[in-house]
Amino acid sequence: MPNIRYANMCHWKAIPYRQIPNFREFYYEDRTNSAYYSDWDKILKYQAALGFHGIEIAPWDLADILPLFGSPEAFTAFATERGVEVIGMFHGAHASHAADHFDEAVRSGREAVDTIVRFGGTYMNTCPTQNYFGTGPLSRDEVQNCARVMNEIGRYATDHGVKIGLHNEFFCAINLPNHRELIESTDPALVHYCIDTAQIAILGEDLLTFYEDYHDRISTFHLKDTASARQPDSVRYAQDPEIADDGHRWFWEPGEGELDLKGLYRLLKKHAFKGWMSIEYDGSPDLLASMALTRYHLDTELRPIYD
Amino acid sequence: MNTNEIAISLDLINRHYQEPNRNRFESRYFWEELYPMLATSGFRAIEIPYELVWQFGGRSGVPMNRYCVNTKYGSAAAYRKTLAASGIDRVSGVTFDPNLFMRNGNLDFFFGASGHFAGEALAHAADLGADYLAISPSPCYGRAAHHHPDLESKLDVFTQRTVDLLGGLATKAEGLGVTLVLRHEYWSLFRGARILALLDALPASVKLDCDTASLHVAGLSAADFLTAHIARIGCVHLTDTNFVDTQGIWKTANPEFPETRATQVFRDPGTGSVDLAGIAAVLTRLGYAGPVTASARQTRDPFRALLRTRALLQRIQN
Repeated sequence: MPNIRYANMCHWKAIPYRQIPNFREFYYEDRTNSAYYSDWDKILKYQAALGFHGIEIAPWDLADILPLFGSPEAFTAFATERGVEVIGMFHGAHASHAADHFDEAVRSGREAVDTIVRFGGTYMNTCPTQNYFGTGPLSRDEVQNCARVMNEIGRYATDHGVKIGLHNEFFCAINLPNHRELIESTDPALVHYCIDTAQIAILGEDLLTFYEDYHDRISTFHLKDTASARQPDSVRYAQDPEIADDGHRWFWEPGEGELDLKGLYRLLKKHAFKGWMSIEYDGSPDLLASMALTRYHLDTELRPIYD
Repeated sequence: MNTNEIAISLDLINRHYQEPNRNRFESRYFWEELYPMLATSGFRAIEIPYELVWQFGGRSGVPMNRYCVNTKYGSAAAYRKTLAASGIDRVSGVTFDPNLFMRNGNLDFFFGASGHFAGEALAHAADLGADYLAISPSPCYGRAAHHHPDLESKLDVFTQRTVDLLGGLATKAEGLGVTLVLRHEYWSLFRGARILALLDALPASVKLDCDTASLHVAGLSAADFLTAHIARIGCVHLTDTNFVDTQGIWKTANPEFPETRATQVFRDPGTGSVDLAGIAAVLTRLGYAGPVTASARQTRDPFRALLRTRALLQRIQN
């Protein structure tokens, strides 16, 4: 059994069919590759074939997945039949910095945990509050409010067999000046951390130093590369910076950017990391190509260092 | 019918479903490259689907709600100037679909969010100088039934709340000089003749949309529908299809993607079974002078769809 198992963070947009019973006929209707991206049966098979045996879903998937499959349990059974398990779900703890939003933020977090449990997942990677623009800079008290919400959700999650992992975006109101303050204000027994390798590098953290400092808090990863580390405040604090007007990509497949991912894998070996690692392809024009490219890089460059 | 006046709906860009290169659709540059292509294809008017989802995700490059337009352009007026500079003279209409808000068993949430954001869509339509707001009066039946297994027993309540919502919207629309139009989807709670009862319960200013493919899917003749209801038609959508629903697909959770046999329900105009030339002739014979919008939703290739649609309209014109 390897130490690291690989999953994909779900960045597929809506997939309208469970399974297409008339694939050839559907293809011939307009003879395009749409047929290859229209049912979960094939999406999950692509994952399994490329060795990504976990999927981390996102809350924005639920509005389509649940009516399509009927229930979280039905989706999980369908995925399991194809060799893929649901490892967890992302969560955004909107406005957790606001003291008067404590109850709502905790309620929403607990509901997300309940949903993950129904999917059979064990991870809830959680963005601690909303974007910096329109919200930041946060006061020290507001950072503590975030920490209280994370601890409370973390307590509920732990009781239900789910690990919550703080997941910071480079444009979040929790940002470089208070990123570590939030981590250190949360209870290590209840609140873990999901390193999104590209996001924290763009934020301004040094990936290897950060992992070395917090290795005992790390529950899982969002592994992706970037060629845009250490962006200035003017970018990180801008309005809606995640999708650039000119199509500039913040995120690349492992090996296509500039991060020292081999160095990270040497540290994973040093600290004997065990668990799931989700690959993220946000911004990719071709998720299937990105998945295959990533698998090649993992097998030839990273897994030989630590598997 | 002057086909040069026909608008093209921006729903020809497949924003929500997976396909290679879909990521382009979220950046501003894509749309600003698209507008001159629309004009080059002979379309000088566009219809915009009003979609909140781009605001919630901070994806304001997609110009489909007030937040996004204000974020990227500062105001609707500045956006219209950008369009004009690209050869798009006007926004003919805005559409609004409440499916996004049918996500739990709380009808207060559904009607509260739908009412609020439909009002925002209406105000945005007015700011854009649009002729109409075409609203889907219900979510998909199957989606509603998923969250409300007792939906049939709630239909009276649902209908009354819909009447209240649309009645309030109609009053605002009259004040803004925008025509409120009810869409008539085959998957609606108000499908078939139910749409007429709903219309009767609303102010006379509220009109009907005629979506030619939706009627075909339901087994209805668009020509007959137009002839019977021409005085109440406020908008015509020229859409095409090869699909006729004989298996109750309308009541499934994803009715535009028939689960028993996958098919592209909405074909590029001119490539399906709907007699669009015949419908254009009916509109001319009936003296219809209201908005007409071509839609290539679900197209596999928007740029081919643009040219296919223009080729169809040229055939109709000649």
